[in-house]
Amino acid sequence: MTRADLDEFRERVRDWCRAHVPKDWRREQTGVSDEEFVSFQQEWFQELRRAGFAVPHWPAEWGGGMPVAEQVVLYQELAAHDAPRLVLAFVAIHHAASTLLAAGTDAQRRRHLPAILDGEIWVQGFSEPGAGSDLAALSTSARREGDAYVVNGQKLWASGAAHADWCLLLARTDPSAPKRRGISYFLMDMRTPGIDVRAVRQATGESHFCEIFLDDVVIPAEHLVGPENEGWRVAQRTLGAERGMTMLELAERLGNGGFRWLVELCARPGPGGARPLDDPLVADRLAALETELTGLRALCARLVADEDPGPADASIVKLYYSELLQRMTDFGAEVAGLAAHTALRKPLSSGWESGAWVLDFIGSWEWTIPGGTSEIQRSIIGERGLGLPREPRGS
Amino acid sequence: MNIELSEAAAEYGRQALRALRAAGGDRLVQLAEREPGRREDLVAPVLRELGAWDLDPRGDADDLEAAAALCRSAGYWAVAYPVAERLARPADLDVDGLVVVADSAPKGAVAGLGLRWVAVTLDGRRGDAVARTPNVPPRTSAFVTDLDVRPLDEAGAGDVALGLVLPCWTLLGMLDRAIELTRSHVLARHQFGGPLAERQGVQFQLTDAEVERSGAEALAKYALWSVQAGLAEALDDALALRLAALEAAETVFRTAHLLHGAIGFCDETTLSWVSRYSQPVRRLPLGLSATRDRLTRQIGRRGLTGLFPGATS
Repeated sequence: MTRADLDEFRERVRDWCRAHVPKDWRREQTGVSDEEFVSFQQEWFQELRRAGFAVPHWPAEWGGGMPVAEQVVLYQELAAHDAPRLVLAFVAIHHAASTLLAAGTDAQRRRHLPAILDGEIWVQGFSEPGAGSDLAALSTSARREGDAYVVNGQKLWASGAAHADWCLLLARTDPSAPKRRGISYFLMDMRTPGIDVRAVRQATGESHFCEIFLDDVVIPAEHLVGPENEGWRVAQRTLGAERGMTMLELAERLGNGGFRWLVELCARPGPGGARPLDDPLVADRLAALETELTGLRALCARLVADEDPGPADASIVKLYYSELLQRMTDFGAEVAGLAAHTALRKPLSSGWESGAWVLDFIGSWEWTIPGGTSEIQRSIIGERGLGLPREPRGS
Repeated sequence: MNIELSEAAAEYGRQALRALRAAGGDRLVQLAEREPGRREDLVAPVLRELGAWDLDPRGDADDLEAAAALCRSAGYWAVAYPVAERLARPADLDVDGLVVVADSAPKGAVAGLGLRWVAVTLDGRRGDAVARTPNVPPRTSAFVTDLDVRPLDEAGAGDVALGLVLPCWTLLGMLDRAIELTRSHVLARHQFGGPLAERQGVQFQLTDAEVERSGAEALAKYALWSVQAGLAEALDDALALRLAALEAAETVFRTAHLLHGAIGFCDETTLSWVSRYSQPVRRLPLGLSATRDRLTRQIGRRGLTGLFPGATS
């Protein structure tokens, strides 16, 4: 693809954004009900889908096939035009899709990939009260009975479970096997009897995380992904998506959305009339953040374009993004000052950097803790990337 | 020079800790938030019984140390009551407490108590202050409210240092607690077949936080001594303490939250409450950057006097 092709594509995306990004959505999506949020997300997803922009990272045969260079441009322009994020479809188009594409059966792909394009919402049911960083210690059980599995247990930190149609579920099918070997991977219909979803209220005041209680939930055997007891291997694909492909969009959004607002914030005169930007310390911090952002965006683009990424590349990107997001939102909260503490609602459908800096900073901890904490990422980089010996394990 | 608290003051602090535990401990802040109207009744009787309002921190050296110890104990339980502000009341005015405020938009965590306040700016301008009725619940305001200030005089320069130092002792109690909670959590939480505390990566983060906390503790003692000794540079020392305590709070709470994992952001954990109620003292009267800026202007190129005056030219 030539530079001219890419420029032409960029023009096309810009025209599309100007015509289709909803005007004033930030104001309208602040403080709306769950129902309004869901319907707004669904409409926006379909709008993107009609343009071929909803799942550009999927294979062409399933509706994607966009070259990585064009994806970068697409995400840059969506962020620069302040388009809403696909919050609700996130797990479906990334985690569910990459799992199904890598390990699903043809029947599973045909059943779910088109349904995801039609708006099927997914949630990830991995963590448990006793299995966070040590995910393989999970104890939710799935007992085979005839053509089905009967599942019992509890899942925690299931983001968006309240709206989900389907769940990516890890459960233990062989309690006697070593812990990584006895886990299986299921697709669970959230309408099945025995599922109880309860919201957990967070420090930001939202209830995005949920608990899922599973009481004799029957899952047909055809919803098993990959062979029985090989769920751990399949789950690595799901987690790989979280640490890999999704980052391209997030990095471009941070650079073209969040950072731009931070600069605007610093250019606004404060109570005394002076602009924070005129303070050399502030200017210095902004320059340092922009340098880091440039590095992050390059790392992400390389990760996605690379046919054969290194064993720790995705972890490097996740670690770098999450800690940079934290530094940047922290600085935003600092510059925005006391007044920012009174902004207690942020527009739904916005990204991790909404411009409500205090909420964004608190929310940034959703990055250094879930999906493998920063410590887990460091262990992976040390052990798999640098080939260092594993830390001695507890007995 | 001995900057350690006297044994009597330390014992007073331990008694206060026990009395507040008996009165409800961690539930005190939760109850106050749920029923803001009961805020006074929840802790004021205990404090009265402890003789808190009989202390004369501005007039008596032993009382000053006892006051600091009491603030630390109140911080440990994140008691949602302006203990430090009441103890810092000026000697020459008939009021219930003193709030150090910024030059503009004066605020304090003193909503809904019906007490008589005096506000003082860092350069000593004093005014009668009336706490406005807050229009947001304590869940989001942590009892911070705007103050209506009627100018009184410019004689408060001597009030400021203690008014800054005592809240730092409250914050110190919160840091004590955050470290203690996190230590317990990483010992109790098992992942990968053992307690998180077995991981050196976890240990090092907690030890870094503890180093920050103990540095703030040493400075708290030094700044208290500086006030007690009536040193000319007591305000410099108070600002230096505030800066160090705010920096320590960032490190300590950041580490505490990270090592607790997601549960640390839910109100099921005590950490979430302590962290939230540490916000007013960390933001008011000046946040981290503003405190640093103020200290820099205050000491200019002179530097802090410190323990060994004259050691450098």
